[in-house]
Amino acid sequence: MNLQKVISGFFFIFAMTINFGFFYGDIAKPELHSVYELFAALVISLISTVLKIGDKTQLGAVLLATSLVADIQLIAAVTVWTVTEYLAIVDVEAFAAIISLSGGALLANITSVILYIGETLKSKR
Amino acid sequence: MTNNALWIILQKLRVPLLVIIVTYSIAILGMVLIPGMDDNGNVYHLTFFDAFYFVSYMASTIGFGESPYAFTYAQKLWVSFCIYLTVVGWFYAIGALVTAMTNKTLHFEIMKNRFKKQISQLQGKFVIVLGYSYVNVEIIQKLLENGLEVVLIDEDENKINNFLLEDFSKYVPVMVGNGLITETLKDAGIMRDNCYAVISLFKEEDKNLRASILTKFLNEKVHVVAKGTIEDIANSLLDTDITKVINPFEVFAKRLDIALVSPHILLLENWIYGNSKLNDKTLFLPKGKYIICGYGRLGKLIQTRLEKHNIPYVFIDAKRVAKREMVQNEQFFKANPDNKDLLCEVGIKESIALIAGTSHDIDNLSIMITAKKLNPDIYLIARENTMKEMSLFQAANVDWLFMIERIIINKTSMFLANPLKEHFLRLALKQNEIWGKMLINRLRLIGNNPEIMSLCINNKDAYAIETELQQGIDVNSDVLLRSLENWKKQHKAIPLLLIRGEKTMLLPHQVSLKLNDELLFATDRDSQNEIELIASNIYELHYAMYGIEKQIGIFNKLYT
Repeated sequence: MNLQKVISGFFFIFAMTINFGFFYGDIAKPELHSVYELFAALVISLISTVLKIGDKTQLGAVLLATSLVADIQLIAAVTVWTVTEYLAIVDVEAFAAIISLSGGALLANITSVILYIGETLKSKR
Repeated sequence: MTNNALWIILQKLRVPLLVIIVTYSIAILGMVLIPGMDDNGNVYHLTFFDAFYFVSYMASTIGFGESPYAFTYAQKLWVSFCIYLTVVGWFYAIGALVTAMTNKTLHFEIMKNRFKKQISQLQGKFVIVLGYSYVNVEIIQKLLENGLEVVLIDEDENKINNFLLEDFSKYVPVMVGNGLITETLKDAGIMRDNCYAVISLFKEEDKNLRASILTKFLNEKVHVVAKGTIEDIANSLLDTDITKVINPFEVFAKRLDIALVSPHILLLENWIYGNSKLNDKTLFLPKGKYIICGYGRLGKLIQTRLEKHNIPYVFIDAKRVAKREMVQNEQFFKANPDNKDLLCEVGIKESIALIAGTSHDIDNLSIMITAKKLNPDIYLIARENTMKEMSLFQAANVDWLFMIERIIINKTSMFLANPLKEHFLRLALKQNEIWGKMLINRLRLIGNNPEIMSLCINNKDAYAIETELQQGIDVNSDVLLRSLENWKKQHKAIPLLLIRGEKTMLLPHQVSLKLNDELLFATDRDSQNEIELIASNIYELHYAMYGIEKQIGIFNKLYT
């Protein structure tokens, strides 16, 4: 068992699950989506991106790309949240945008995890 | 992944980035969770943005102050903990970034990428030079003058730095790397179509063999110019079929041979190399007893040439041994040649010439001084190994100085930059003295130092002739020699060589030109212009061929 593999696997899957946790719930109801969860999703996503750096294989490159997509989507969601809050225009449309952005990030995270599992299954060791 | 440099930086920054992310998120989360108090005494919580903003300027030690309201003690407690956490993380990250930037591997990768890019941007034919040395710099200079591009590889970084200080007319891409490895040669563009040649003139001749074998397998169309003086290596070099072997000793021995029987041919050679002018005196080498110091590769080559002309000789060498019969016939002495008694014993008084041909320049100088004292009339021939002691040799009053490095430079650069000249020279050296004298006398009519020009019958260089040939009209090579002022006269030019595919013609005369013929002329500046005009201008060509102006066919065209 390789500790490094455990840690990276942990963060890849954690990024996906916590993202799902934020995304799950009625898209128009702010009270169902915790800001702390979004924060955690962003931090974990950033960490898993850094962990993916340095693998120069074809698969490593694709993994990194999916992770970067998730980061950008989450950063966009956070930015929208911040801006709308300070401009006091927290309406349904803006909030739906935040949730759907995080939904996009969730898709990217799922892709990444599928690829990761695929690679693990392919590996002989 | 082609861009290795970026990957090296990112990989080095993995841990610092993780540290920053983790410390920031701990600090931010704490700031959000800990309740604060606004101006009116109401409890409030910082938003994530407030916290991110505050932590960002705290960690980078910018420190704008407490915002949006003055902090409570609970908050201050957390902030003082965070200061140490984030500031240390931040500095660590910056330190790691700086270390990564100054990383040697990184520098190498950046240099390699730049080098590869420069190679891919080379438009014309280019030559890969292996190793930085005095000889190679001279060769590079000459190749650049002749419109070739050059790429240099050397293993030693200091040498590359020295090379960058040299002044060249064009930028020469350089790389630190072992040129005897496939990977480096590939980086240097050996597989590219416009790669013309590889120059490998290492003293360690097995390296030259290695370079030419690698080249043979990587790209057969590339020429290799390699130094090869050891017989086995020279033969293996020739076996690769793509290698031009440079053996300065062989070159000198051949010159000695020629100088004994046909000094005019030797003068011709020197003129083509630009070593001398045509009005230099031509003298036969004196015939008589020769004393040769040094019985190595050079000595043995000289021996065969002297035997060919039945010239008596004595070899002196301190280290090497010769065949028993040579010792018995007193043709070889194993001793230090720089010795008065010994020189007298081998008969310097009645000898006619002495060749100081050891591989040590100072020994050679010393031998010459001793010899001159013992026999002031002796003809001195000296070998100079490196160009560093040039002034010393010039001061020593040598009758004939041959510089090993100069020979290598001349041979290599002419082979690559002026293949026509080289071809002519090869044929000319096989001719006899009468032929040489005839040609020298004809050349002297042009001037003391005629220029050499080449002309290829193609669309670019000879548009007019090409058009005529396309129409099936026969063009005689002598048309090029006619004067444009009066077509019955000739300007000063001598056609030296014509190459048509595999066939070659020395001093072509009244030859019908064909497409893609290559011609070499000795000319002065005016007649060079005339040749170029006749070859490329249809009106001038018409005049040179028929002696009348070409009628402009505007009316003819209207009615035909």
